[in-house]
Amino acid sequence: MASSINGNGFITTTVDELLSWGRRNALWPVTIGLACCAIEMMHAAASRFDIDRLGMIFRASPRQADVLIVAGTVVNKVAPMLKLIWDQMPEPKWCISMGGCASAGGPFPTYSTLQGVDRIIPVDVYIPGCPPTPQGLIYGLLELQRKIREKKVTRYEKAFEEFKKDLSPELLSGIGV
Amino acid sequence: MPWASSQTLDRIKHAFRKITIDTQPNFVCLNVEDTQEITNILKHLKDIEDFRYFIDFHVIDFPKEKDRFLGQYILVNPYTFERLAVKVWFKSNKLPTAKEIFPGAKWAEREAYDMFGVEFEGHEDVKRMFMWEDYKYFPLRKDFPLGGIPEQKLPSLTEVLEGNTFPPSHDYDIMHTYVPNMKDIEKTEKSRITKKGQLVLNWGPLHPGTHGTMWFLFDLEGEHIIQTDVILGQLHRGMEKIAENLHYFQFLPYTDRMDYLSAVCNELSYVQAVEKLANIEVPLKARYIRTMFAELQRINSHLLWLGTGALDLGALTVFLYAFREREKIMDIIEGNAGFRLTSAFLRIGGVHYDLAKGTLEVAKYFVKDFYSKLKEYHGLLTRNRIWLKRTKDVGVITQEDVYQYGLTGPVARGSGVAYDIRKIDPYAAYDLVDFDIPVGDIGDVYDRYLVRMEEMYQSARIVEQCIEALEKMPENEPYVNKKHPAVIPPKEYVFNDLEDMVKSFRIVVHGENIPKGEVYSSGENPRGELGFYIYSIGKSSPYRLRIRSCSFYNLSVFPKVIYKHTISDAVALLGSIDPVVGETDR
Ligand code: SF4
Repeated sequence: MASSINGNGFITTTVDELLSWGRRNALWPVTIGLACCAIEMMHAAASRFDIDRLGMIFRASPRQADVLIVAGTVVNKVAPMLKLIWDQMPEPKWCISMGGCASAGGPFPTYSTLQGVDRIIPVDVYIPGCPPTPQGLIYGLLELQRKIREKKVTRYEKAFEEFKKDLSPELLSGIGV
Repeated sequence: MPWASSQTLDRIKHAFRKITIDTQPNFVCLNVEDTQEITNILKHLKDIEDFRYFIDFHVIDFPKEKDRFLGQYILVNPYTFERLAVKVWFKSNKLPTAKEIFPGAKWAEREAYDMFGVEFEGHEDVKRMFMWEDYKYFPLRKDFPLGGIPEQKLPSLTEVLEGNTFPPSHDYDIMHTYVPNMKDIEKTEKSRITKKGQLVLNWGPLHPGTHGTMWFLFDLEGEHIIQTDVILGQLHRGMEKIAENLHYFQFLPYTDRMDYLSAVCNELSYVQAVEKLANIEVPLKARYIRTMFAELQRINSHLLWLGTGALDLGALTVFLYAFREREKIMDIIEGNAGFRLTSAFLRIGGVHYDLAKGTLEVAKYFVKDFYSKLKEYHGLLTRNRIWLKRTKDVGVITQEDVYQYGLTGPVARGSGVAYDIRKIDPYAAYDLVDFDIPVGDIGDVYDRYLVRMEEMYQSARIVEQCIEALEKMPENEPYVNKKHPAVIPPKEYVFNDLEDMVKSFRIVVHGENIPKGEVYSSGENPRGELGFYIYSIGKSSPYRLRIRSCSFYNLSVFPKVIYKHTISDAVALLGSIDPVVGETDR
């Protein structure tokens, strides 16, 4: 955290920084596997790679999650359902597009495949590979953490805007937001 | 597997004068002239000639012919293991349905309707199988382009939100094929249901328990399921269409992405089909390497089944244990192929690389260790009371179901049908190694569990024997038959030899023409019989390539077996059928 500890053991920091610290260190992805990439996603969660260590726990319900890892080919038929899941996730939320298929259609330039999930869902991090290795996925997740730290407020963070409205202007100017 | 013998064909010919018989080296088929007679012929084949094992039904499109669509059944006699294809032309896009004779044809016919727009008389449920209702086209017709028809503007939201960058973040076409909305999907759902129960329960399409993107609709009466609809196509990527547009060797990596848990086995089935068609001999070393990797892959795939199947029933420990072993196998594969999951290790005519240094030692150690690990899994589940309660006498599949629905693999063997392509039509080096086929006896989930566990043991045995054979081989044995004109020489030769470089260049750019003919060839995948039917017109890419998917047919029995059972049994049953969506939908 960008903060300083004074002699009494207090930490002074900004609300912004505090929120982003909380968010980036407890990213909970939704358990959704679409295709081959999902197997590597499972591997990232299982014995050897164990992304629990990074505070990432897969949640089966979109309502409890804040990261959508689109792992696999998104075909046209599944696109509206995936979009529904995205809409069900509470703000703030991020989306990772894992693998060539999710990023741009991958090896399937066909009549039935969506050419990139970013056409229906705004993507924060693209991970190349077919499939990306679990290391690749973990690197992508770390990049997302970096992005959250650096970008602070993203454009779909309505909740944060609401939160700022609740605070009095003096307090806001006091903490430098 | 041998094709139907001349005696059998004579007998059939005697019974039906109006059929002609076409015998090719790797394909034997009956041509039925009279479309209306097909029902009688199929009945005769099933009841009198014992061709009662339904393997596949598919359609080929010939736009220039009078009747345009040709339907083809592939049947097997499970007692003599003879295989036979039956061809029949559609009359004004219609064919009598075969679903009364072979219930397995029900889904196959729906798929044919979806892809070709052909109709089946007497089939009340011909709806879209993979696409959604209201989809306007029939994609596998020859006049439909691979990329579909762009009709909708769909910009990348990254660009919309973040603004355009120069140069553009990626190069893409703003026009896109039609993407359905929620209304289309709801319509697809509604068209499927004639509600029978008090309550309709949705399971999937994006649910961890469905192993991918399957969508089940259960009609419930109390806790019991009285009707099931399965909506597929949430991973339909158009594999068969892709194959028609690529050179033979280019399709190989796509087979990895079908049943992504058993990449090497898929490749093996595919290269085998092409090799039969082009008459390519494979060196002994390559055959052993293929066998070894296919069996490692089988263990790998069964481990995933074990882990997720147990996870579905609440046993998390097994999942973590199974993945520990999976990582080790993937390391071996990665060390040789350079890739963990979608390995693309085999080549037409051999394998891509010679064995990497140390592979045999690592594999040897792995197998030695694996036997004890297998005991550990047995210790966790086999006599576990909860496991027994959830799996014993649940989801019983009878032998008759196996034949009529065309179930293969461990699902068939769990019900006591000893149908294993590795034994009845040995390919790679399976005729040179010793192994047993385990069969179950009741056909419940527990039996299928035991069959798969034993299969892992047998696979380990095969790997051991392959290692032994490979160790004895001299170092510089050829691992690819690079003399054949259709085989791309391996990289080490390409960089050192002018002739090989030119050949490689020629094949990669122009492809190599494969002789005219037809072939149906299959391999034993961890999930069942994966077959490739190739219709070649002498070009460098197939005219029609049909993938006979094991998961697809195995899943088709699900609605029948789950009838009057509970939801919790559905989870156990689906886990034991172990479908992979990449392959059901292709
Ligand atoms: S990117 Fe490759 S591995 Fe991932 S889903 Fe697509 S085809 Fe499969």
